[in-house]
Amino acid sequence: MRMLAKFGLAAIAAGLFAGTAMAQGTYTIGVSNTVQGNGWREEMICAIKAQALASGKVAKLNIAHRNTDAAGQSEDIRNLISAKVNAIVVNPADPAGIQAALAEATAAGITVVAVDQAVTEPSAYIISNNQEQYAYLGAKWLFEQMGGKGNVVYMRGAAGASADSDRDKGFKKALAEFPDVKVAQETFTGWQQDQGKQQILDYIATGVPFDGIWTSGIDNVIVDALVESQATLVPVVGADNAGFVGQLNSVEGLKGAAVTNPGSIGGAGVTLALQILEGQKPAQQTVLVEPQLWENVTDEGKAKLKGAADPSLSPEWPVSISIPDWTTYTKEQIVACKGPGE
Amino acid sequence: MRFLRQHGWVAGLFALFVVLFILTKIIQPGYGAGDFGSLVRAVLPYAFVVAAQTVVVIAGGIDLSVASMMALTSVTAASMMAGASEEYALFVVPFVLALGFALGALNGILIVVTRVPDIVVTLATLFMLQGAALLVLGAPGGGAAEWLKNLIIGTVPLPGIPDGLTTWIPKALVLMVVLLCIVWIPLMRSRLGLSIYAIGSNQLAAFRSGVPVARTKILAYAIAGLFGAMGGLSLTMSTGIGAPIPGPYLLASVAAVVLGGVALGGGKGGLLGPIVAVFVLRLVRTDLTLLAIDPNVTAIVEGTIMVAVVMFGAFIVMRSRSS
Amino acid sequence: MAKNYGAVAALKNTSLSVLPGEVHALMGANGAGKSTLVKILTGAIRHDRGTILVRGKAHLVRSPADARRAGLVSVYQEPSLIPDLDVLANLRLTQTPVEPFRNWVRELGVPDLDMRDNARDVPLAIQRVLDLARALAIEPDVLLLDEMTAALPANLAERVLDVVKRQSRTGRSVIFISHRFVEISALCDRATVLRDGETVGVVDISPGVEERIVELMLGAKIEKARAAQRQATEASAHGEAGTRIAVRNLRVGTKLQDVSFDLKDGEVAGVVALEGQGQDELFAALAGSTKPSGGTIEVDGRQVRFSHPVDAVRAGIAYVPGDRSEALAMQQSVRENIALPFSAAFRNWGPIRMGQERATVQSAIERLQIDTRAQREVQRLSGGNQQKVTIARWIAVDARTILCFDPTRGIDVGTKQEIYKLLRQLAAQGKSVLFYTSELEEIQLACDRAIVIFGGKVVDILPVEIADEPALTRAAYGLPRDAKAAVGILAETASSEGARP
Repeated sequence: MRMLAKFGLAAIAAGLFAGTAMAQGTYTIGVSNTVQGNGWREEMICAIKAQALASGKVAKLNIAHRNTDAAGQSEDIRNLISAKVNAIVVNPADPAGIQAALAEATAAGITVVAVDQAVTEPSAYIISNNQEQYAYLGAKWLFEQMGGKGNVVYMRGAAGASADSDRDKGFKKALAEFPDVKVAQETFTGWQQDQGKQQILDYIATGVPFDGIWTSGIDNVIVDALVESQATLVPVVGADNAGFVGQLNSVEGLKGAAVTNPGSIGGAGVTLALQILEGQKPAQQTVLVEPQLWENVTDEGKAKLKGAADPSLSPEWPVSISIPDWTTYTKEQIVACKGPGE
Repeated sequence: MRFLRQHGWVAGLFALFVVLFILTKIIQPGYGAGDFGSLVRAVLPYAFVVAAQTVVVIAGGIDLSVASMMALTSVTAASMMAGASEEYALFVVPFVLALGFALGALNGILIVVTRVPDIVVTLATLFMLQGAALLVLGAPGGGAAEWLKNLIIGTVPLPGIPDGLTTWIPKALVLMVVLLCIVWIPLMRSRLGLSIYAIGSNQLAAFRSGVPVARTKILAYAIAGLFGAMGGLSLTMSTGIGAPIPGPYLLASVAAVVLGGVALGGGKGGLLGPIVAVFVLRLVRTDLTLLAIDPNVTAIVEGTIMVAVVMFGAFIVMRSRSS
Repeated sequence: MAKNYGAVAALKNTSLSVLPGEVHALMGANGAGKSTLVKILTGAIRHDRGTILVRGKAHLVRSPADARRAGLVSVYQEPSLIPDLDVLANLRLTQTPVEPFRNWVRELGVPDLDMRDNARDVPLAIQRVLDLARALAIEPDVLLLDEMTAALPANLAERVLDVVKRQSRTGRSVIFISHRFVEISALCDRATVLRDGETVGVVDISPGVEERIVELMLGAKIEKARAAQRQATEASAHGEAGTRIAVRNLRVGTKLQDVSFDLKDGEVAGVVALEGQGQDELFAALAGSTKPSGGTIEVDGRQVRFSHPVDAVRAGIAYVPGDRSEALAMQQSVRENIALPFSAAFRNWGPIRMGQERATVQSAIERLQIDTRAQREVQRLSGGNQQKVTIARWIAVDARTILCFDPTRGIDVGTKQEIYKLLRQLAAQGKSVLFYTSELEEIQLACDRAIVIFGGKVVDILPVEIADEPALTRAAYGLPRDAKAAVGILAETASSEGARP
């Protein structure tokens, strides 16, 4: 058995080395991600692979992608250090919990780029969607639609995630501008579709009236739930996930807005890492990508939504599959989800 | 011969670890002492949670609440130490260990008193402890004393031993060995240790041999709680925070216990096997990362290795029985 | 030492006193309360009333550890070494001194014991010897031996008896529980006899005392049983019937050693045995749940080899266990339970033909007069009705042979009668029934013959006319059939002791 395992691994290794030998480029980039089986995160991984391939500068990607906690991510990061990668693109499980591992990576001469969420390690570069702005834009639009008063259902992401706490700041900022809007219910979906749907169904069942729903990206199942239970179609704010964008275009009587939160930020992370490796350091440690809001109330907004809709994508994937100036791959490349040497 | 028969499994696992280590060296010639230190630090929380599960499984039970126990003790420690002085941590550590011991004992008492199967009781306490952890800290946070964090960083300078060797002895390894031995060795030398094996092996025979079955079971769960608290503390030490949602430690603990040659029916096995098994499982993960294998395949590979090793072991045992 | 015990009347008013230096036999029929008394004496269960006095001092015995402190140490029927610990660790666990233990082991005829062997790897017979040595090593005031010699080969058994005898000469007492008169007469000084949870007599062991003991164990039942004798006409009507199952020299494990008998069509054959004489193994082998280690089973003249209960079901053999919870899905309805075997075993995952199933089940329910008011859940039926359901399911599939293992245990008298009637009806339809019972009077109420098993062998097959309780009891204890003339049996059996394999 042991021999078998040895030969098996050796064979896999041989296959991989043969594969990488054919690819162009010189850098090895490590990736660490701790949420598996989530559409947004899958798009992020695919964007990383596609950008690495499109850049032509990456020889090999080393992806540690599993469901784990901060301690497990530290383990993965240290394994990537052992693998002697040139840069690590990391979507942190916790901003502070992986600080020690990231510091070790920097000490080993590895460029660290955190995508999607911030980290506390000062030597790491951060490229992230502006999460506070994401929440502020959507919440402000929603409260305007509600006429500046009424009850809102506030469906957050995962407790303790820095993206969630940043969004909470933005949401609270908008809430402060509309004193007559009350939060009727606050839940954590954990960014899980089934969980979010169950929560809204439970809430509808209580019969307490509500005038709007703000979601942290678990959106299309919320519309499904409203339609299925024949509840009043209140305005819904979500992210630019393909399924939700499709619903905004097609569901009769649904008012809503999608705020962009591109999963392709992963690709931008690769671009930033490559720029740093080649000596072009950004002016600031943190680079923010500003979100856009597409609504289906005005004609202008409708046109934007029409243009963005892409039924060929998985409903959980954001339709903004590229970020101008930061990603260079084609749609085919990201959908194929193949990295260098694959 | 008897040594091989009794310790054959651990010896085989250790050989597997050595083979994997050589393989790692082949994949990554630069794999050195620092990387080994990383491995040990990754092993640390697993080692304690596996020790917790091992005690309970040997006693013929199973503890589904170990991961939640780690989460609760970790957030308790992190929230108590947040912003507090370095000296305050000297009080926090024993407090958290006592908390783990008490909560573990509570598991045992519930099982003994209600006579509900342990799998049900500990499933219930899994949720209770997880809820309690969320009450302590709604989101990951808190802090840890610097000296505590430094306990697992770097190596131990031993006078008289060449540097080349001491770099291979990370502090985390020393800490792990010391803490496990402090609990395990006196336990195995005491009548309580024997009693734990006895109730796991055959509860009726143990009762007839004069073993206080209920008390032994409660203590087994209490010791598991103590190890769980050590695991929780080690999480806080390595991350500097406490996270209320448990990591993937429950299934990992059961996997390592099985792989380590402890019979799930109870009564058989030791602590060394599961600990070596944890090293094997973590090193497999390292190798898979080094090889940059498709992350979706790695879980399959880990599972396959486990099934293969356990089946291979069962096959060997069957062969030696029939011959 | 005296003791009373209330509660479920397992023991009503039992006393047992053992003199120093005495080997005292504890006797009683199945269910007389022997094992309850032993459990109380060893702290396995607590008694409600009464006292335990050791050397005149009252002791609270609430756990085996308490019993040990009081000087009461027992050796159980099943080995009580911890299987996964080595012998030495087992000694440490019970704080047994090692040197005396080693001496006793040698004394008992096991010279080459390796103390580092796991108990699991030690042969069963040796484990029992180790149990005894462990008990002897702590020098108890009272040693309690429960069926000590049952699983021992002859040479070890002799050594054990010898050691026990000598133990008593040192002024210590031994309580000896055994079904074997031979051993009792050779070893014991006195015997206490229990019946229905009461002490009915204490007798000195002297030649010819067996009859007295049998009488005490049965009490007034002797006369009653004679009166209840069934007419033999019904039974003899099947003299010409064909042989349904022929068992030849069947051996299963260590318990069942050599059993041969025929089961005819249209017959109810009773099986009588004391506890643990191999009857469980016999039924398990016939039902296909245990593989025999030797001998043959023929069904309708063809030799069969069952590797799974399904094979037995296919051969038309149905097994009705004594423990009804083994056989029934308690939360399911009566209908589902009756339908279970033929939808599971015969249809092989195919669709269940609902209409047909319903008809078959309905007719089975009607034939058995099952009270169906509570038919939604079997667990709400009375024990007797539950037992009827287990039998009904096999009638529904038209099994030709039914193995009933103590089906009337814990059932009220009325339902018992119905079950006897049912068994007779089945026989009248040409089905054959093998019926093990622990209540000896049932043999004459329901059976055509009685097959008596003792020590894993068929010791007698009695026609129903003479199978009254005294005769069955005598046979079940391995005593010869016409043992009325008491004088001389002991001499006879004692002399055959040496020839025992």
